[in-house]
Amino acid sequence: MVVLNERRGAAPAAPRRPAASPDRRRSRRRRGWLTPYLFMLPGVALFGVFILFPIVQALQMSLYDWNILRGAASDFIGLDNYVRAFTDDRFWLSLSNSGIYMVLTVPPQIVLGLAVAMLLRSKAPAQPLFRVLFYLPVVTSWVVVSLLFKYLFADQGLVNFALGDVLHITAGDTSWLSGRWTGLLAICALGVWKGVGWSMMIFLAALQGVPQSLEEAASMDGANWWQRFRVVTLPAIWPAMLFVIVMLVIGGFNVFTSVLLMTAGGPGGQTEVLLTYMYQQAFSNLDFGYGSALAVILTVIVFIISAVQLRVFRDRGES
Amino acid sequence: MRTARNRRALTTLRVITLIVGAVVMVTPFVYMLSTSFKPQAYVLQNPPQFIPDPFTLNNYVQAWTTQDFARYAMNSVIVAVVSTAVSILISSMMAYAFARFEFRGRELLFRILLIGLMVPAMMLIIPQFVLAKYFGLLDSLPGLIVFYVAGSLALNTFLLRGFFAALPAELDQAMQVDGANAWTRYWRLAIPLARPALATATIFTFLASWDEFAWALTIINSPGNRTLPIAIQLFQGQNATQWGLVFAASVIAVIPVIVVYLIFQRHFVQGLTSGAVKG
Amino acid sequence: MRHSRFALAGALTVAGALILSGCSSSPSAGTTDAPVTLTFWGTYGNGGNSAQTTVLENELIPAFEKANPGITVDYVDMPYDGLKQKLTTSAAGGELPDLVRSDIGWVAQFAQLGVFKQLDGTMPGFEDLSKAVYPGTLVTTSWNGHYYGLPLDTNTRVLISNQKALSAAGMTAPPATFDEMRAMASKLSGTGVSAFADSGLNAWNVMPWIWSAGGDITNADFTKSTGYLDSDKSVAGIQLLVDLYKEGAIPNLITGNTGATSTSDGLPSGSYATVLDGPWMKAIWQGQYPDFAPVYSPVPAGAGGSISVVGGESIVVSEATQHADAAYKFVEFTQSEDYQLGMAGTGQMTVKPEFADKQAAIDPSFKTFSTQLETARARLPIPQASQVDTILNTELVPAFTGSVTVKDALTSAAKQIDVLLAAKK
Repeated sequence: MVVLNERRGAAPAAPRRPAASPDRRRSRRRRGWLTPYLFMLPGVALFGVFILFPIVQALQMSLYDWNILRGAASDFIGLDNYVRAFTDDRFWLSLSNSGIYMVLTVPPQIVLGLAVAMLLRSKAPAQPLFRVLFYLPVVTSWVVVSLLFKYLFADQGLVNFALGDVLHITAGDTSWLSGRWTGLLAICALGVWKGVGWSMMIFLAALQGVPQSLEEAASMDGANWWQRFRVVTLPAIWPAMLFVIVMLVIGGFNVFTSVLLMTAGGPGGQTEVLLTYMYQQAFSNLDFGYGSALAVILTVIVFIISAVQLRVFRDRGES
Repeated sequence: MRTARNRRALTTLRVITLIVGAVVMVTPFVYMLSTSFKPQAYVLQNPPQFIPDPFTLNNYVQAWTTQDFARYAMNSVIVAVVSTAVSILISSMMAYAFARFEFRGRELLFRILLIGLMVPAMMLIIPQFVLAKYFGLLDSLPGLIVFYVAGSLALNTFLLRGFFAALPAELDQAMQVDGANAWTRYWRLAIPLARPALATATIFTFLASWDEFAWALTIINSPGNRTLPIAIQLFQGQNATQWGLVFAASVIAVIPVIVVYLIFQRHFVQGLTSGAVKG
Repeated sequence: MRHSRFALAGALTVAGALILSGCSSSPSAGTTDAPVTLTFWGTYGNGGNSAQTTVLENELIPAFEKANPGITVDYVDMPYDGLKQKLTTSAAGGELPDLVRSDIGWVAQFAQLGVFKQLDGTMPGFEDLSKAVYPGTLVTTSWNGHYYGLPLDTNTRVLISNQKALSAAGMTAPPATFDEMRAMASKLSGTGVSAFADSGLNAWNVMPWIWSAGGDITNADFTKSTGYLDSDKSVAGIQLLVDLYKEGAIPNLITGNTGATSTSDGLPSGSYATVLDGPWMKAIWQGQYPDFAPVYSPVPAGAGGSISVVGGESIVVSEATQHADAAYKFVEFTQSEDYQLGMAGTGQMTVKPEFADKQAAIDPSFKTFSTQLETARARLPIPQASQVDTILNTELVPAFTGSVTVKDALTSAAKQIDVLLAAKK
């Protein structure tokens, strides 16, 4: 995306006006220098005070055995909270569960979201209605859908009924939520289902910028739909694609409510994810130092993954 | 190349696919809707029962009357509308600067903004609470708005930056040659052209502010300042939750989000007809 | 390290107290004239149940305000799931209310942090009030030898049975002992009815079995778990559950299968013959299974008798309050007959044995619970109680699924709890 801007000549050259006096030119240039900062100012100020400053404080907390009570003294313990995390089996288990969730939910959300957007893009009967219907999971609260999926995946739920009594694929007696892998699978199913509408919306908006004339031209040249998609559509929606990928990876690592309500991290902590573990440490055990350290570790991991993605996919977008 | 029959078959296939997809997507919503019309005794039956029998409107009556629901809905509307408007304005300005200008610190600022997306919001709640107290924002709607705007900036800027960058630079340069200043180019050119993206950002921001619970719970004390998510959460109990009530309240709360979606979604189509983009 | 921190915290508290007393020593700031508003946070209205908030706001608080002119009580209802989080952030921001109806499980934790006020030695009449409540409930308000609240309402778990399932096993009365429980399980084997069901392996779930078997989780002064939690008696309590689980007489709901039929559905529908649960279930079943007649009986007795676990809420005063004297008056009021029986009428059991008979007159189903409460015991009153639950769950699940013995699982759990207890000091 970064390169995209530059490639498209995003930075406008200062207009040349030979008639302008040296004085005027200098003032214009100074104003030109200032312009982007003026555009950034309100946002940066708000973000800096209300988000960045608290982030720095959370970072600081992670270096303490933090006492939540206002005015109470906390012990500085350096990197002990981080050392503790790396020797904590539950941390590794929850981290790997978050990773599994991310890997299992991000690609389906992208593929299905894009597919639905493509289907809904050109004229189809009752198109606005379909858009609303696909959007419904996005607006339905996590609490409601988590409970519902818990009932769908219950021992006597619809999923077992469908797989066993209707399709005869399984015996229909799977205890989905009683094991690590089956439990995660159910949680991932919810994640994909809830997320498709979200990526669909972004792709729908992005697809509006794709020049249809180009697609038609490619079609005339005998390109099949895959070629048209790869050569015309995909490059045009690439910035949106990059946004969706990065956001979904972040969202994948931040899965929380569905796990809490479907399995509560059980049985025996087997389906715990990083955020449920962090929440437990911070708000149940009131160990904010450790909770913050877990949050920092999560942020660093996600940041590295996103940076790699931005780099890798930027190159792909270029070619 | 393609025969008309082929084309029709394809359309049919597409519609069937869409219908199957839509059914899968809609089922849980229908379940929420139907549960909201069930008396407590019939709520959590297994397998789920979709047609409420017996049918009751009691949950809606009770949800609306046991608490000052209209007041909470009004609070939610104020908070969500103001937060969304301010956030979209500020973040589109940032996104425009990121996409259209070359300046010192641009990449660094963008990276920092990205970090803001990655830190779990839960861990910021204590420092933010202290800040809110310092600014006198506790137990007030402005206290919600300020933090909702700040919290949505990173996402919106990231989203809009991509769209602004994808707008043809030629138009921008043309306007510049005509002597238009940066603000005019942003307001008159970039904003109208990015309407589909702005509509998307508007819907997301509205939804996020409308649904937010943890922060509202943290700073709001007075019942008069409550928003809908707190009111809904109050129906959930330690030992027993009246799910019919929770779902009825949730249905009431979902309606405005759908309305906002309906209002703004036409911009997805409008982008097609505004010829400028296709150049 | 922790010592120094507490020394510092203590010094700060003392300094704060000095400043406060310095302020209030000015003549005008008496307790009589200036009107005082007490903020009181609770979760009485949770679950969309307005019965308790109605009684509190329309009867009890007005009665208190009438008896104590100049004091106004502003009750604010909070979502149950959010109250602890809100208390935490408010403590961090120095914005606490005067009074809190706290879950008993939080008292030690917030007391350790200095959020709740110590009541013994500071609140007038505390000693007499504390002697009047069930001893098991009072322990829940203690930490490190002091008391940080008074029990406000209480509950415990008793055995609740489905008469049809009992009859199927050829029993006229619910199983009263471990042996009868085993006998019933073998009678029910093959019928598809589980002898017993529970929804987890937290202290709340397993302690009744351990105590009733004569075991315990720690020694009396909460300093050592090894030798207690892994004793033969404690093992016997868990072994009963594990044996029944392996026979198929207890469903995997107990090891954390959230997809299994819940106890509240399984008992009335006849899938489960018995469960352990609290007094609130009666109202839930009346709504959902109006034809179901639950049978209440004491927890099955083992070598240690029939001993259950205490639940409920306590009233606490925040350390930050500016109106401690007024707050104490309200705390005292919550222990009165008006308050205790007023709330009993809405399903909140009284914490005082002296009101048990009057309470049973309001609702006879409370009888079994109040009898059980006389011997019921508290979970560990330590700040790390939630960690104890995590340890028990993590260690016990393998014992049920069969990869380790109960003895080994409890030995491992005891070692980890020892570490927590050592950190407490």
